[in-house]
Amino acid sequence: MSKIRGLPPAIRDPGPGVELGVENGLLCQLIHSPEFNLFSDSVVFESTFIQVTKQGNWMDAYERSATIILGVTSSVPSLPLPNILLMANVTWPQGPFSTCSTLGAPVITLSRILPLKYVELQIYDRTQRILRVRTVTEKIYYLRLHEKHPQAVFRFWIRLVKILQKGLSITTKDPRIHFTHCLVPKMPNSSTETTPESSRPASSQSSETIMLLAAERAGSSVLDLSNRHRFSEDRYTDTKTDNSSNCKTASPVASLIGMPMRATLIHSLWEQEDSCETLLQAPVASSLGDNFLGP
Amino acid sequence: MAYAYLFKYIIIGDTGVGKSCLLLQFTDKRFQPVHDLTMGVEFGARMITIDGKQIKLQIWDTAGQESFRSITRSYYRGAAGALLVYDITRRDTFNHLTTWLEDARQHSNSNMVIMLIGNKSDLESRREVKKEEGEAFAREHGLIFMETSAKTASNVEEAFINTAKEIYEKIQEGVFDINNEANGIKIGPQHAATNASHGGNQGGQQAGGGCC
Repeated sequence: MSKIRGLPPAIRDPGPGVELGVENGLLCQLIHSPEFNLFSDSVVFESTFIQVTKQGNWMDAYERSATIILGVTSSVPSLPLPNILLMANVTWPQGPFSTCSTLGAPVITLSRILPLKYVELQIYDRTQRILRVRTVTEKIYYLRLHEKHPQAVFRFWIRLVKILQKGLSITTKDPRIHFTHCLVPKMPNSSTETTPESSRPASSQSSETIMLLAAERAGSSVLDLSNRHRFSEDRYTDTKTDNSSNCKTASPVASLIGMPMRATLIHSLWEQEDSCETLLQAPVASSLGDNFLGP
Repeated sequence: MAYAYLFKYIIIGDTGVGKSCLLLQFTDKRFQPVHDLTMGVEFGARMITIDGKQIKLQIWDTAGQESFRSITRSYYRGAAGALLVYDITRRDTFNHLTTWLEDARQHSNSNMVIMLIGNKSDLESRREVKKEEGEAFAREHGLIFMETSAKTASNVEEAFINTAKEIYEKIQEGVFDINNEANGIKIGPQHAATNASHGGNQGGQQAGGGCC
């Protein structure tokens, strides 16, 4: 293991995730590029999808099919579960005389970053390999896994959805434990996320707010949005093997030990419900729950 | 397309003031009256030219909704410019500017250029905030100010481009350290090989292979 730690990245075994195109893919390269430089220490699990509609026989949502890369990642690698959803559009620049066989290289454009706590992922149609992505604002996407992906990739998504819904053994299910990041449900009467009443804009009373709150509550009860941000630890267990010293491993304890202060700060900025609380409550350590202390 | 600099912008302000519409008007030159509530960040990009140099604006459109406020704070990091938007037909959106400004000042670098925008200037009959009030607020807090209409495109180009000019001037004056990424400025790719990986007016990353 120590030998591998010293090897340059090019010599390391890329792992099955890379070979299947779900790790270190185009979206990962884009957000880690100097242009965005986001979540640079975290792996990205990603796949290409075609946006489809619910109508008819899963015709493409647009006349020209909309190709989307969907990915999940963590604001810091030590989180046991992902907390960020990434969406990027894929387009092929075309000249007036282009044909399908003469299209240029695809252009990947990052379109959205969403905190996973505001998103529900659901396997909508296993046979058609369709994923349903629903936000708390009731924006719904039906995404069919691209045909280029083998069935194993869809099984990864099934597993991810299951883990997001049900969690892992290392993630606490105890709602009494207060966390400051999105892995944990907001208690219905909790006021930790908001600013004081006096500084809250009046617009928070708008119909959008009511809709959002209703959606959030519905999500908490029906969809278990609040308790479902579970990371595919198993996936990393599968792929990390001898690479556990890699800074991009998702092993929580290993990552925690070497986690730089900058990462902690970024994590707290991305995840904080209350900036003061975050600094006091060591969110990353607490996210490990009693497992952090060991058996 | 190659660029000399990349500036990161963030658009902030109360929900419903027209942040996403301003972005759409600037990047796509179109107006969409009904827009989904923004969550997290939505991205836009456009190339502009200042002083003969190609500059790419990477624009982060954020959620104005109060419930997303704590998350929005995380997006200020590394922004070179901010568009702080209020709705001239809603006094409350103007009253909340101080809170937004405090957030922006607290979570961004001190040199970030802030453009105050009074949007929906086409709705003169419903105006609740005088232009002079916007000007006074901007003067008091050291901001640039414009009134815009995302619907008619009035002053939209100017708002984005004038912000970039201000950033560019600060670079020329040495105020911004362009080698410090925290300032929200990146120097563009210098060689052809790297240029090939950035394509389209919207920016992004090109990948090998085709669809068929």
